[in-house]
Amino acid sequence: MTVRTINRFGTLVLVVFTLTAPWVLPVFVDAFWVDIYSEILIWSLLAASVNLLFGYVGLLSFGQALYFGMGMYGVAIGIAKLGFGFWGGFGFGVVLATAMAAVAGVLAVRLTWHYFAIITVVFSLIFYFLALSWKPLTGGDDGLPFSMPPLISVGDFELTLTDPDVQYFFIVLMVGACYAIMGRIISSPLGRAFVTVRENDLRASLIGLNVYMIRLSAFIVSGFIAGVAGALFALFGRYASANFMFYHVSGEAVVWAIIGGVGTLFGPIVGTSLLIVLREELSHVWAHYPILVGIVVILTVIFAPKGIGGIWAALVHRFAGANTGKGGDA
Amino acid sequence: MTVPLLEIDDVTKQFGGLRAVSNANFTLETGKLHAIIGPNGAGKTTLFNLITGTLPTTSGHIRFLGDDITDEPVHKISQRGLARTLQIKSVFGGLTVRENLWIAARSRFGVFAPFMSWRSCQKSNERADAVCEELGLMAHADQLAANLSYGDVALLEIGLALATQPKLLLLDEPICGMGPAETEKTVAKIQDLAKRIDIIIIEHDIEVVFNIADEITVMANGGVLAKGTPDEIAKDPDVRTAYLGDDDDDA
Amino acid sequence: MELTIALALNGIVWGLIIALIALGLSIIFGLLDIINIAHGDFFMVGTVLAWFVAETTGNYWLAFLIVPIIGFALGALIEYTVIQPIKNAAALSIVATFGLAIILQESVRATFGATPERMLPPIHDTIPMFGIEYEVYRLFAAAASIAAIGAFFLFLHRSKLGTWMRAVRFDPETATAMGIPARRIYMITFALGFSMASLGGVVAAPITTVYFEAGVDILPFCFMAVIIGGLGNLGGTVAAAVLLAFFEGIITSFTDPTFARIGSLCLMSLVLMIRPHGIFAGATR
Repeated sequence: MTVRTINRFGTLVLVVFTLTAPWVLPVFVDAFWVDIYSEILIWSLLAASVNLLFGYVGLLSFGQALYFGMGMYGVAIGIAKLGFGFWGGFGFGVVLATAMAAVAGVLAVRLTWHYFAIITVVFSLIFYFLALSWKPLTGGDDGLPFSMPPLISVGDFELTLTDPDVQYFFIVLMVGACYAIMGRIISSPLGRAFVTVRENDLRASLIGLNVYMIRLSAFIVSGFIAGVAGALFALFGRYASANFMFYHVSGEAVVWAIIGGVGTLFGPIVGTSLLIVLREELSHVWAHYPILVGIVVILTVIFAPKGIGGIWAALVHRFAGANTGKGGDA
Repeated sequence: MTVPLLEIDDVTKQFGGLRAVSNANFTLETGKLHAIIGPNGAGKTTLFNLITGTLPTTSGHIRFLGDDITDEPVHKISQRGLARTLQIKSVFGGLTVRENLWIAARSRFGVFAPFMSWRSCQKSNERADAVCEELGLMAHADQLAANLSYGDVALLEIGLALATQPKLLLLDEPICGMGPAETEKTVAKIQDLAKRIDIIIIEHDIEVVFNIADEITVMANGGVLAKGTPDEIAKDPDVRTAYLGDDDDDA
Repeated sequence: MELTIALALNGIVWGLIIALIALGLSIIFGLLDIINIAHGDFFMVGTVLAWFVAETTGNYWLAFLIVPIIGFALGALIEYTVIQPIKNAAALSIVATFGLAIILQESVRATFGATPERMLPPIHDTIPMFGIEYEVYRLFAAAASIAAIGAFFLFLHRSKLGTWMRAVRFDPETATAMGIPARRIYMITFALGFSMASLGGVVAAPITTVYFEAGVDILPFCFMAVIIGGLGNLGGTVAAAVLLAFFEGIITSFTDPTFARIGSLCLMSLVLMIRPHGIFAGATR
């Protein structure tokens, strides 16, 4: 029973659950939890984008909501104002987000530590205010609703997201693809370069690694992932709003990533699930449950900075009897 | 006449009011084990920093095998085949020994390959294992670098440099802080390496330096005081008064 | 034109208030190396407490005495329970202060509700200035801020404690070696930061809306002042705060206030990229 086997088993459980949720969840709890799980999957991508930058490269971005917003508005504006179809809108959103990440990254990645975090917020604030005030284009904080074009429309056969099953599996497909891409990158030479730069950026450059380009690639990939999340969010809710570009959204994604466990592939799903489920359950019982969230955040930073993923890894290692402490893997 | 290994051409480094390196001028040839010695503050490590691009020069030029590398980005200089160890040992603590060596080896083949599995990189795997073997670190291959003993970290430090297939290896006080047994082992290793790679070593241990170096450059106050074979240096009156006279200057 | 003058004057007044708050942010950033996302909420707590004191005692001026003291105590408590324990996870300090911000905002909402409140300024008169009738209270607010800022600089440069703070800021190891209690200095710094922000809240309460999200609006501006003024450059922070608010005020009279804000943010980005040490040269770090 090695570490890898246990982790593989865990991944299998997650995948099986995700694929069967539309039938399993209504039996055990309630059908509306399928929608919640869809939301969790989408938001977990935003947390994953934070996790990729922070957990693997060591850069804490507090402004991922910007690329989320670009994805979101790309879809909404593409479909509502530019007359794109489903795939055109989706593609437009993702491309917009990735392009934004490239431009912002070229500037931001030249900074490190606190200055990097600050400039990521500043960039997101600039566009938040732009989105807020450019009402004719974005609808400001009223939001920009749009009607859902079909996925595929061939003769009489039509697939559209208004069908809950189609919607669910489309989201699962896209989210799954993103995690697969991230997984691939993390176990590639580029992924190795990420963690090397995180561990010791001076030494990394001394062995011939272009630290700037490595950080920039991570930033762009993160922006892409956040963009997909935003695009999916717009498709899920059929609207876009500037409120989702505010730094509070970026901050929440950071919280989910930290609590789930940075530096692990599925940590973001765990963290996002936990906090959104908590929100659903607690908000009926106690209107001021965010106080609890804040306390959990602080306690996590103090006592378990590696989050649930870290606790899981420690337990798994103890159980598998592996005490040489393998480092760096997902 | 072969191209010189390293040309330090009137190089100066100024920090505010302090001249750490002052119009340093010397040329080193290939095929020799070079040593740079000098009292603390002579500018030796600063010079290494200037050569590897870690610090920008204030003025002057540095040429490596004929190419001007002055103020080039650090990673580019490394890609030219110039590798270096640091005085304060600096490895990738959160990675295992093998992972450390792997990434150093892979640096030669490019890291921007996002879709291949790193474990399938034949050449990098082989090179990492070869260096690991050569330095006697195989037993610790799967240990986190942060958990290694000081001596093994020093070896890994050299390993990182070796894995990048260097043409020139800059060793900054490689035996600093080692006990006699480890020192002997490491010095033997350095001599072994010198047979196939050009090496420049900064060292405080005069005995070691005189034993293994083919050519010694003595620095003081940011400039070059003398340069020559160990015998020549031992007899040089300037060196004796400025430096060798103080026997307890050894690290 | 009258609008421009009024907004420009308002800008200066606000700039001074924000300078006071931003100084607190700067010393926390400078000494404890923490990005305090909750700093805006320290200000918000100040406004809320001031409103509460005024409502319950009928005496607004009492708030000037009580609130900064409460702020100091709260700051010390937070430093002890939250900031100290996270010293070993420095990169995550921003996350912890984010959690703190959530707690503060939600606690205020739980205690006082979500409805924004407005206070009547304790001084109702206006005075003719530059061709318009200007509220006397705002002039008082400016004067109070100037006095507080002045007192702060006096404290920093003339008192033993202030000198210790500057020593710890400059070189913590040497300071400790010289016998300065760095631990306690950190606590005092954080407490002082909270106190100054809350005092800013007291001064601002009558001329702004009192509600639980007030901190969120003011935080970016404080950071702008600190960054553009230069980390470690306290005088620069004051100058930057006043100048930024002054120019934003003028621009607002011509166009959408968000454009003024966007302009300031772009300036801040430029500063971060080109001169991360701030526009005003002579920063110590």
